[in-house]
Amino acid sequence: MRQPKVEETDRLLSAIATSGEKLPIQERREFLKNGLSMLGGAAALAAGGNAIAASTAKYAPPNVPPWTKSLGAGVITDPYGNPSPFEKDVVRRNVPWLTADRIASISFTPLADIKGIITPSGLVFERYHAGRPEINPDEHHLMIHGMVERPIILTMDELMKFPSTSMIRFLECPANGGMEWRGAQMTKLQFTHGMLSCCEWTGVLLSTILEEVGVKKGASWILAEGADGSHMSRSIPMEKALDDTLVVFAQNGEALRREQGYPIRLINPGWEGNTCIKWLRRLEIGDSPYYQREETSKYTDLMPDGKAREFTFVQEANSVVTSPSPEKPLQGKGKYWLEGLAWSGRGKVKAVDVSFDGGINWRQARLTGLIEPRALTRFGLEWDWDGSPALIQSRCIDESGYVQPTYTQLRAVRGSSSIYHKNAIHTWRLHADGSVTNVQIS
Amino acid sequence: MSRFLKIYTFKRMLLTTLLAVLLSANVAAGNTKVVGHYGYGKVATAEEIAGWDIDIRPDGRGLPAGSGSVEDGEMLYEDKCASCHGSFGEGVGKYPVLAGGAGTLTEPRPEKTVGSFWAHTSTLFDYIRRAMPFPQPESLSDAETYAITAYVLYLNDLVEDDFVLSKETWADVAILPNNPNFIPDPRPDTDASRCMKDCKKEVKIVSEPTISAEEVAAADETIVKAAAGNQKGADVYNGACAACHNLGVAGAPQLGESAVWKARIEQGETVLIKHALEGYQGNAGLMPAKGGRPDLSDEDVTAAVKFMLAESK
Repeated sequence: MRQPKVEETDRLLSAIATSGEKLPIQERREFLKNGLSMLGGAAALAAGGNAIAASTAKYAPPNVPPWTKSLGAGVITDPYGNPSPFEKDVVRRNVPWLTADRIASISFTPLADIKGIITPSGLVFERYHAGRPEINPDEHHLMIHGMVERPIILTMDELMKFPSTSMIRFLECPANGGMEWRGAQMTKLQFTHGMLSCCEWTGVLLSTILEEVGVKKGASWILAEGADGSHMSRSIPMEKALDDTLVVFAQNGEALRREQGYPIRLINPGWEGNTCIKWLRRLEIGDSPYYQREETSKYTDLMPDGKAREFTFVQEANSVVTSPSPEKPLQGKGKYWLEGLAWSGRGKVKAVDVSFDGGINWRQARLTGLIEPRALTRFGLEWDWDGSPALIQSRCIDESGYVQPTYTQLRAVRGSSSIYHKNAIHTWRLHADGSVTNVQIS
Repeated sequence: MSRFLKIYTFKRMLLTTLLAVLLSANVAAGNTKVVGHYGYGKVATAEEIAGWDIDIRPDGRGLPAGSGSVEDGEMLYEDKCASCHGSFGEGVGKYPVLAGGAGTLTEPRPEKTVGSFWAHTSTLFDYIRRAMPFPQPESLSDAETYAITAYVLYLNDLVEDDFVLSKETWADVAILPNNPNFIPDPRPDTDASRCMKDCKKEVKIVSEPTISAEEVAAADETIVKAAAGNQKGADVYNGACAACHNLGVAGAPQLGESAVWKARIEQGETVLIKHALEGYQGNAGLMPAKGGRPDLSDEDVTAAVKFMLAESK
């Protein structure tokens, strides 16, 4: 579990002080004594870095902790609940040197600390091109026009009257891992793979709305545009729109978060995250692509011969081991449940293999939990670590038969200047002391 | 055909004819053809569509009336664009480079600019119109957008200094030099196989991060240290104010440039906080109320101003 850090000392002290005041006098002395030992334990752990420390818990049986002998907080203390304060380090983070400012920038999902396949709404990575707008849904409208029989403007209430559906799908920025094309660069899993998330998305199929407005003959592309300051925009082919594009108003059972496009966004399952236009305000139906900035200047893949691939929509099969990882070092030899995440924009994950020797030999891992198409899929494998250094990798095979490539295979075709769609097999170097670092291998 | 079917077909024909009559009446009345099962929403009028339909397509569809010259563009560019993109389109800090880079696409560090990489001039006009200048999107007039587009083309040696961009001259510049080098997506383009045993002879580590976790943390620390007890102010600054004040965009006084702050600081903190909260038109430029972030509380803005003053003394 999470290890206390030096910074927590102050918080623990104040927590102890305030909780202590509420205790009856006879219990107070014992509480303070135990609390101070707790602090000592935290400091010892912090000093020890990644190494495991013997349990310093003072309330292990047979001792009974104070929260078991007192009353807790009442209902609606937090009308909208928050994670335990002990989980305060499980947050999105950014890499300041990546972008000029935080307004046109990106943050990363803490992949090492999320469980199962659903990313909590508040931990889904953020990508803004002009910051996060604050939109009153009563003032937000969706306009659908262009090559349609009946151009319409929908209020949010009207949009939500359409039949809706839900699907669990991953959402990934095509630049995920892009900093690694020329070599290992990032030091944490959060930064090597954290432009990634997976939610249950609820909304109206775009095909339902297109049927409603009546698409004219010859229409083949749709411009989707946001209501943010960048008027973020991408062209979506009609085939996708009629297949599974969703106009989303909820994630994980609640209204979309502002960071994710409140009140509405697109989700194009399995496709580049930036096609999933947030704060969606306009859909224009046309007869050709619109060649927007984010599909010309950016989000095109430059090849070694100077040609650039355009409309590279699909996020190909990918995977990463989430534990062990730099954030989840091992603590001495013994049995471990290795686990990770796999996904493919082409459908379901069929299998995941794991290597401990840098790809010489592989073992098939177990897929655990739900296996949905175009969704994060959890894999795990029991492993007996003998304490010697290892090169840990995972390899995803999807239902189309596609096998996740190595860096060598990927670079042989695409060079190292294409920025986007880096889905190479990732390597964690496990050191004898249990720490884990990011490396690339031959 | 059975009798039933005949009757059915006849009835349907009658119904269709009736509908057609109704529809044509509708169209004649200026209404749009009736489609759809639910009938939700209101029909968008031409005026409503025009207000939001801002995209420009490669062939010039969507272009507004008007024109703009390279000459007019130069002054506008210097005023509204150069603080981020550089006077010659060379880019400042991490803001995008707009010009140069010819012949670098096959080099190890390609420079992807309007001239070296982009495919369509429409993308340039469209993006300036929809998203620029960065702190004040949709603030340019059509003539200004034409002029700045023309000037960026000029910075890329794509037009002469007497060029005027308009619907009439669009065809001359619509296709940019690198246009033929965009190709469709050929993926899957790798053919990895699922080998399970003895898949290679040896493994060597070829690359490890050169930026240590400590260095990344140090970069993070810079602002934190500078905050000097006003972390909230620093956070608000980074999230809301930095876009303009980091580089001095649109006449905004640059953080830490004591010379440009001196006269402002002399007005007193109260006046500067008032300007930040309510907005202020100065000689150098416009400070929008709360920096264009109405979601910020007065307290947030005040903290940010205090942070900026402490940093810029």
